[in-house]
Amino acid sequence: MTSVNVRIAGANGDGVESSGAMLVKVAAKNGMHAFAYRGFQSIIRGGHVWNQVRISDEKLYSHGDGIDILVALNQDSVRNQQSHLNKNAAIIYDPSKINVEGVRSDVKLIKIPLLDIAVQVSGDPIMRNVVAIGAVLKMIGINIDVFNEIVKDMFTRKGEKVVNDNIKAAVTGYNYSGVEKLFEIHGDSKKRYYLDGNTALAIGAYASGCKFYAAYPMTPASGILHWFAAHENKGVLYKQTEDELAAINMTIGAASTGVRSMCGTSGGGFSLMVEALGMAGMLEVPIVVVNSQRTGPSTGLPTKTEQGDLLFVMHASQGEFPRIVIAPGSVEESFTLTSEAFNLADRYQCPVIILMDLYISEHVETIDGFDFDKVIIDRGKIAEKSDGRFKRYLFTEDGVSPRAFPGTPGMEFVAPSDEHDEYGDLVSDALSGIDEYVEVRVKMQNKRMRKIDTMLKNESVFVPKVENEKADYFFVTFGSTVGPVKEAIQILNKSGSNFGLIQFDYIMPLNAGKTEQILANKKLIDVECNFTGQLAHVIKANTGIDINNRILKYDGEAFTGKEIADKAASIIANSK
Amino acid sequence: MEAQENKPKQGYTSGIKPIWCPGCGDFGVQAALLKAFTALGLDRSKIVIVSGIGCSSSMPHPFSTYGIHSLHGRLIPVATGAKLANHELTVIGTGGDGDGYGIGGGHLVHAARRNINITYVIMNNETYGLTTGQTSPTALMGHKTKSTPFGSIESPINPMALAISSGATYVARGFSGDPMQLAELVKNGISHKGFSLIDVFSPCVTFNHDNTYDWFRSRVYKLESENHDPSNLEKALGKAFEDSTTDYKRIPTGLFYKVDRPTYEDLDIALKDGPLAKQPLPTKAQLSEIMAENA
Ligand SMILES: Cc1ncc(C[n+]2csc(CCOP(=O)(O)OP(=O)(O)O)c2C)c(N)n1
Ligand code: SF4
Repeated sequence: MTSVNVRIAGANGDGVESSGAMLVKVAAKNGMHAFAYRGFQSIIRGGHVWNQVRISDEKLYSHGDGIDILVALNQDSVRNQQSHLNKNAAIIYDPSKINVEGVRSDVKLIKIPLLDIAVQVSGDPIMRNVVAIGAVLKMIGINIDVFNEIVKDMFTRKGEKVVNDNIKAAVTGYNYSGVEKLFEIHGDSKKRYYLDGNTALAIGAYASGCKFYAAYPMTPASGILHWFAAHENKGVLYKQTEDELAAINMTIGAASTGVRSMCGTSGGGFSLMVEALGMAGMLEVPIVVVNSQRTGPSTGLPTKTEQGDLLFVMHASQGEFPRIVIAPGSVEESFTLTSEAFNLADRYQCPVIILMDLYISEHVETIDGFDFDKVIIDRGKIAEKSDGRFKRYLFTEDGVSPRAFPGTPGMEFVAPSDEHDEYGDLVSDALSGIDEYVEVRVKMQNKRMRKIDTMLKNESVFVPKVENEKADYFFVTFGSTVGPVKEAIQILNKSGSNFGLIQFDYIMPLNAGKTEQILANKKLIDVECNFTGQLAHVIKANTGIDINNRILKYDGEAFTGKEIADKAASIIANSK
Repeated sequence: MEAQENKPKQGYTSGIKPIWCPGCGDFGVQAALLKAFTALGLDRSKIVIVSGIGCSSSMPHPFSTYGIHSLHGRLIPVATGAKLANHELTVIGTGGDGDGYGIGGGHLVHAARRNINITYVIMNNETYGLTTGQTSPTALMGHKTKSTPFGSIESPINPMALAISSGATYVARGFSGDPMQLAELVKNGISHKGFSLIDVFSPCVTFNHDNTYDWFRSRVYKLESENHDPSNLEKALGKAFEDSTTDYKRIPTGLFYKVDRPTYEDLDIALKDGPLAKQPLPTKAQLSEIMAENA
């Protein structure tokens, strides 16, 4: 595999974001694979931002290690990024604006008067990032014509001048003297899609018939609301709410009418949703709730990643009720697991929580496509008619009672957040404590909780997935850390080790017996982006297995494959 | 709630008896709702009564319509979600003053400005009934309760002014002691296209011994008796403050304000082809179109 890491760095407003997007598009059109990740802050102008685009001839699982080509759009970029430069890396910079004194001597200095060229070809200094992108294309061996096509796609609606200026800027950078091909990446002929985890999740929801999304903006979940808002003319409704309390309660109201419904937020907003999460459990209304985590606690680092909410989402809300927690481990899984989330919600009439995080929500990746034919839609048990008064909460063997939707004659019932009998009549207030109704409470709680047994019996997914069964060592992980772990495995196994992966994708409920069988007698290393090793805690609670080898990170950045590989190698060396 | 019989429902009543104390004002509101449904000849399978938590929030149970007895303070978002998902339903909110103006107060303002077509009946007893008589956002200054033994020192919310200034398009006040007027207000509220707030003086006979039926009866008067013009915003706001400016000697009831404005459902492009609940799944062609946005 050959991969090259291009990091464009500058201030907000320098075109860092759009430069990265252009590179990803070029790679996708050119039969290559790309993986892009941003570093940014919660300020709109200024600050220090970067967009790293890794381009390769093979599927990528992480944003990779270090920088091969740095496009430095301001002085800060050199200062902040030089420690990340790989050996023999190159810096593209404008010598009239940036001083590279003190940069390591192995680093190639590619001096281009970016600003002068930009002003010359377009009269607009903003074009200097495009000049630099032209140079990058030359350095990684991509034909400039591909870029020109993309520019036409992106800017035709802004007029011919914008298209031509972009092309002129890029071509000048491409042909600038001293800019040479440094890397050779061979694409295949496949055209790929490129999208982030939030978009994949939204498309998964859309494909499975989700028509209602409610949210209050919060990074890093906002990409989902932007998607739904942009598609309001395609059969979905996005409701921006006054707060996250409203978001989840609206979702419950919408789902009660039979419409597949979802809400999404980050940890802070999820905290506000907690009481209603329990109501969904009590009313037995199927809803899907997304929590895309960022670095906590509290407001934390709003633009940085973490996996610190696992135990929180598993236990949030008073009392006990069935819920499902799933954590996609890739952009593809953000699609597949979300479309399945709606089936699980409908089948078991309970909340399903999709645990994302900033890294998986916001990194853009090239993919071959989604298999829409595999999206099946199962609405679970629906009652069409009733002899006599409808028992919405009928005691059933599997715990699932057929539901009915307002508008259906003859099935009227009240769904109460108070404890209730089979009809939905309250056994709280006036009746609580009376023997007959104590018994109803116990039977109803048993009925609801029985759904967990049914899930575990009927669904095969509630066990971790194993890759490379015969490995000597296994990484145990979940969510966005799966990608970097896969890359660590590639690195380690290439140098003669034999590592495998145990991925927890459907984390709650967990088939404890089968999980124990899978984990027993294996050498395990837990990898998580949090302080306490929350997945390891879940594993211990379910199986009694203690994973003492842990690689934990909570600095706000996502793991890289190399980082995990190095730490694993030293864990093994120390244990020998 | 009392035990139920296993018989199909007739009319709008379920046969479930509410838990209210004898004499509770909420009985009058129940009667008014029943009258309004009957007068409008609504299909009970298309009515959803959404409540929060409180004595008043047990309102859905005596009815044989659909109902959601939700969380304290959250009836508005639950009702909004149901309405947005299927706007062919008649969605009615019923709850207390603590529920609506206290814990759920933030939602009220937004429902009003959205002008979502929901009828919200707040049973305002100026106290917290279910939790045995603490002060409420509508309690008058000096009112003594278990939680304000030295008298309330916060000025009460003005529900009429709040609703009007937030953008509600039908704003009225009723009194449980006048079921005929109340039924009419509820009926017209349901018929009105847009967000209707009907604040109802609904005395708590157990915990509020200041604001009793007699107390209200000697103070309320009907706006229509003074030919109030409900389309006049300024006059409506003036009337909204009449109670506090007369030291609660004159409290107007009836329709304060009514205006026609497009509803949220009218304006949301997602609902142009009818209710979400009736929209088909995306087609193969639509899915490819969506994917093409990412290529
Ligand atoms: C989140 C939450 N906080 C507090 C309560 C307790 N609680 C239940 S009803 C209520 C107030 C009831 O007053 P109101 O809404 O005016 O209704 P009323 O009983 O007077 O009809 C309170 C504080 C609760 N159920 N949930
Ligand atoms: S406590 Fe008050 S509000 Fe509650 S039922 Fe009794 S009279 Fe009505």
